[in-house]
Amino acid sequence: MPMAQTIDLDIRGQICPSCLLLTLKELNRHAAAIRGGGTEIVVTTDDRQATATIPSTADRMGFRTEVSRLDGGYRIRIFGTG
Amino acid sequence: MFEQPYLLIVVSSLAIGLVAGFVMHRSDFCVTASFRDMFLFRDFFLMRQMVLLIAVSMVLFEFGRLVGIITIHPFPLLGAPTLVNAIGGFVFGIGMVLAGGCVCGSLFKFGAGSAASLLAVGGMIAGSTFYAEIHPQWAAFAKATVLVDKRVTLAQWLELPPTILLLPLATALGFWLWREFRAGRMVRPAFAASHLAPWRAAVVLALLGFASYVLVGMPLGITTTYSKLGLAIESLFAPEHVGSLAYASTMPLNYTPPFTDRTISGGPGPQLDAIAALQYPLILGIVGGALFSALHLGEFRLQWRLPPRQFASALAGGILLGLAARMAPACNVWHLWGGVPILAMQSLLFVAGLVPGTWVGARLLTRFVVR
Repeated sequence: MPMAQTIDLDIRGQICPSCLLLTLKELNRHAAAIRGGGTEIVVTTDDRQATATIPSTADRMGFRTEVSRLDGGYRIRIFGTG
Repeated sequence: MFEQPYLLIVVSSLAIGLVAGFVMHRSDFCVTASFRDMFLFRDFFLMRQMVLLIAVSMVLFEFGRLVGIITIHPFPLLGAPTLVNAIGGFVFGIGMVLAGGCVCGSLFKFGAGSAASLLAVGGMIAGSTFYAEIHPQWAAFAKATVLVDKRVTLAQWLELPPTILLLPLATALGFWLWREFRAGRMVRPAFAASHLAPWRAAVVLALLGFASYVLVGMPLGITTTYSKLGLAIESLFAPEHVGSLAYASTMPLNYTPPFTDRTISGGPGPQLDAIAALQYPLILGIVGGALFSALHLGEFRLQWRLPPRQFASALAGGILLGLAARMAPACNVWHLWGGVPILAMQSLLFVAGLVPGTWVGARLLTRFVVR
């Protein structure tokens, strides 16, 4: 299903733990829309640790994630199960 | 055995640093995160890895001492516990959270291309150099607040053989860690390329600390060299001022390394001495190992695009780290991976200060830096 809204978070280069903090902030702000299936968050990061912490945190909150490699970094897609 | 003790020291420290930098980058082994994430996210995953590192080091160091391959116990530069150990640990905790990494973490993150970490390292050098200005007063305060005179470890204070304390403690930690492994709490899914599980990194880092203790006579240490480097730079512009600083002429390290009968010494002054031989190669190794790992994975990118608040935080955190590492004295890696495993009282006090300092740092970070 195509997403009605994609929230892009480019957190490359930022100090640790900006990735998880800023992702959590957006997840909490848009939780209902993401759970409904019409919205997703796409995080672009060069923080290797975020590829473990963001999926495990999102998973605990009931969201689904996909991690893919980019040139020099990673893209983490967070979406709902709806 | 070795005519020239510096050769073994330089080669060992460089090799250990290269492996440590590589391993820390592959596993994202971050001491700062292990403390900070307990408060920020109630996440104890990395703290479990830290406990594993300490427990393995405890067993290895005591084993080495008992079989005679560790000949210097407790290792050099440790002293009697004083109040400044806890105060230094507290300031260090604030600094490492604001900087986004400790003295070691910032090095491997800088090696992987983080401009913020480079700025933090610059701050550490500045903070360590500034300490030289307040050293006489601070040293007097440290001396006045000594808690147990002429005793370094808990075992010495209690007048017990170290094994009597370490064996039950290591057994209890081992049992707890075994339960954590069985419950699946020591591993978590990770998607970074060629990721090394943090528990494996903890074991490798403990082995590296053991190798350092056996080969050069002490575990990993870095921060005196930040003062050394800072004072060397300062002496280019103000040689008379640096020459007048009491701190620059102190020589706290004076020991006979393993595999030699020659005594060597070193201090924070700009000269090339035993401290330089131990720590410059280690620093270069950590940065080089992380750089190699990042280049090999195609992940090295110099990132300068940062919110101004984060640049300010990295610099301020670095200055606090550098200052605290001299006040304590020494850094978290020295105390956590070296002193705590032999139950050095200075290190236990440092950790007692580090924990509340990290909590304060986490509060400052979420209130003023990452919003």
